[in-house]
Amino acid sequence: MSSPALQPRTRVTRIAQEAVDKARLTVVPRVRTRAPRVPFVTLVSLVLVAGIVGLLLFNTSMQQASFTASSLENQADTLAAREQTLRMELDELRNPQRVALEAQQMGMVIPAAPVFLDLETGKTTGVRTPATRENAIQLLPPAPVKPAILAPAPTIVEAAPVVPEVSPEVSPEVSPETTTQGTTESRAKNTNKPGRKNRNR
Amino acid sequence: MLRLRIGFVLIAMVLSFFGARLVQLQGVDPGSYAAMAAAEGAVKVPLEAERGDILDRNGIPLADSIKGKMIIADPALTAARAPELARLLSDELSVDYFKTLTALRGRKERSRYEYVARRVPSTLAGDTVAALDEAGFEGISLQDDPIRDYPAGDVAANLIGYMGTDEPLGGFERTFDKQLAGVDGQATWQSNSGKGVRIPLRESTLKAAQNGAPLRTTIDRDLQWFTQKVLAQSVQQYRAESGAAIVMDTRTGEILALADVPTFDANKPTEADEDDLGSRALNDTYEPGSVEKVLTASSLIDAGKAFPRQRFKVPPNLARQDRVIGDWFDHGNIRLTLAGIIAQSSNIGTVLAADAFTPVELVSYLQRFGLGQKTNVGVRGETSGILTPGEAMTSQTKDRVAFGQSLSVNVAQMAAAVNTVANGGVRVSPSLISGSAVTDDGVTVGTDVATRTRVISKQAARGTAKMMEKVVDPEDGVAPAAQVPGYLVAGKTGTAQRVEAECGCYDGSTSVSFGGFAPADDARFTVYVVIHAPRVDGGGGSITGPVFSRIMGYVLGRYGVEPTNGTPSRLPVEW
Repeated sequence: MSSPALQPRTRVTRIAQEAVDKARLTVVPRVRTRAPRVPFVTLVSLVLVAGIVGLLLFNTSMQQASFTASSLENQADTLAAREQTLRMELDELRNPQRVALEAQQMGMVIPAAPVFLDLETGKTTGVRTPATRENAIQLLPPAPVKPAILAPAPTIVEAAPVVPEVSPEVSPEVSPETTTQGTTESRAKNTNKPGRKNRNR
Repeated sequence: MLRLRIGFVLIAMVLSFFGARLVQLQGVDPGSYAAMAAAEGAVKVPLEAERGDILDRNGIPLADSIKGKMIIADPALTAARAPELARLLSDELSVDYFKTLTALRGRKERSRYEYVARRVPSTLAGDTVAALDEAGFEGISLQDDPIRDYPAGDVAANLIGYMGTDEPLGGFERTFDKQLAGVDGQATWQSNSGKGVRIPLRESTLKAAQNGAPLRTTIDRDLQWFTQKVLAQSVQQYRAESGAAIVMDTRTGEILALADVPTFDANKPTEADEDDLGSRALNDTYEPGSVEKVLTASSLIDAGKAFPRQRFKVPPNLARQDRVIGDWFDHGNIRLTLAGIIAQSSNIGTVLAADAFTPVELVSYLQRFGLGQKTNVGVRGETSGILTPGEAMTSQTKDRVAFGQSLSVNVAQMAAAVNTVANGGVRVSPSLISGSAVTDDGVTVGTDVATRTRVISKQAARGTAKMMEKVVDPEDGVAPAAQVPGYLVAGKTGTAQRVEAECGCYDGSTSVSFGGFAPADDARFTVYVVIHAPRVDGGGGSITGPVFSRIMGYVLGRYGVEPTNGTPSRLPVEW
């Protein structure tokens, strides 16, 4: 801007002092192009508000997610517990004892020896033995011996000679002559067992 | 001016107090305050490791763990409405009303923590607490309390053991506790108002629990159940004191079933007799009786000092140095072969045959059969039995040892010894654990460490098996009841005088037993049964023979072993 002005200086005469005076460089007050403030402030405010609201929403959603996570975890726990309980029930249903009891009630027994059937030739190997009622195994333990107070029969074993008088009372359906022996014996067993039990304890 | 100075001094004093407090807080013990700050609102949740299952050979659980809860009352909150709450709880959980009431009121003054119920299935506990919340009760909380369940009750209970309140008390549960227990973990997080909801982005740590590893046994659950039932039936029928039965896979030595009678329900160990909680089969010794003759005879054959058709003149009784040896049956002078001696179970004949052995020779064979040493199958407190060393053995003792008295064994030892004959003379050490596991004594047990040692030659084993076939022969033998229809069975009976523990003497009671294998010419399974102190007259053949037959018949069918159609033994028993 200033370099083209150098050459005229040498040639110009002071013919227009006034104009020269006028043209002398002076400090010009800087012109400020004042941008409108409002949009900027609005923008910043918007960013700020958006940030705060976003953070708030984000936090809320995190919190929400945390609640959801907790409740889902609880649900997972409950379901896992349910699954385990069901599995336990299933295992108890598979208990061989239970299966065998049901099978025996349906009239099935475990055979004494296996027989093999060849599907191609239709022949069997092994000795075919019938599975009978005798093959059934005793699945339940014998009924526990009742305590003496609940079975208040007199101890007949000691009073052996007077047994015939007592026996009709014990098994009224059978005639006394034939059962004397049997009842005495069964009584002997009954009175024997609790005694043994006591010793063991 | 003065006022200003006083003011400065006061300010300086106050500031120096602050400074001292700052040094105290930050300099002396900053850690504990930081911890206190962190603990405020922090939630620590112990993560219980799940106890490993105990499985049978097919992976079916014999013992498994399920999630459970303990129900805890805070008497400070529950005491006021204790009766109503107790009624509700006892209805829901089927617990005792009066015990619950005591707990809710606090067993001690100012108690804040009382158990109402333990080992409640999670689902039930959750439902109960929901019901309580609905009814507006306070002060009941839940904590983890895993439940150990034994789905099959008494099946293999003597082996797997049982749990106490918090710790294993017996059997595999205790022996392999290290493996089964696992390591508990812990989760820590910051929580709002203690409701268990995590504050996001705050510090939280998680140390996951390491669940216990399952323990796989060689037991076959259904076979074990069957064995127990059949044995229990006989023990009861013959009013015996106890009994044991074992089923072994001949080739691998795996124990498929090991039954003890009487037994107990592993879910309710406290209801059982304390003596029934262990495994008598392995913890108690007894004299094996005539089944041991199999070992004597096979050793003699292996050493080349006898052969199955060898002829013996058996007198009615045999006077030895200290006492007269007799047979179980009265006879005059009879002429039996070695096969006949086994088939008829003659003590005198066995002693005469064993005269070819010195005590040292006999004992060294018996040791190689595994007698006198623990089998190390992994059962707690296993007895090693008693076998007098050969050098210290008198000739009288040797005579008695030759027919199975004056030495004692446990069931697994005897089964493994008989199995040696079944397995062509190679003894496979028995095992109860599939793979391997380390006991609490630091011993590694299981199929991975099973050993095989040749004890007798194949020919000797074959010859002995042929002689044992004669035992179940309806005409020549003493135990036709042990036959399994369609199969060749080899076996040996035993009826031993039994030592009564209290008096330490033979009290006239017996231990009857039967050990054998099938199919005799290609053995797959060895079954050994012993019943102690039957109160009904009978011997090994009549009492344990049928038990053997039943178990053997079942296991052969279960594993699909077809009859071999081999030729039955034609050894002569007399001459």
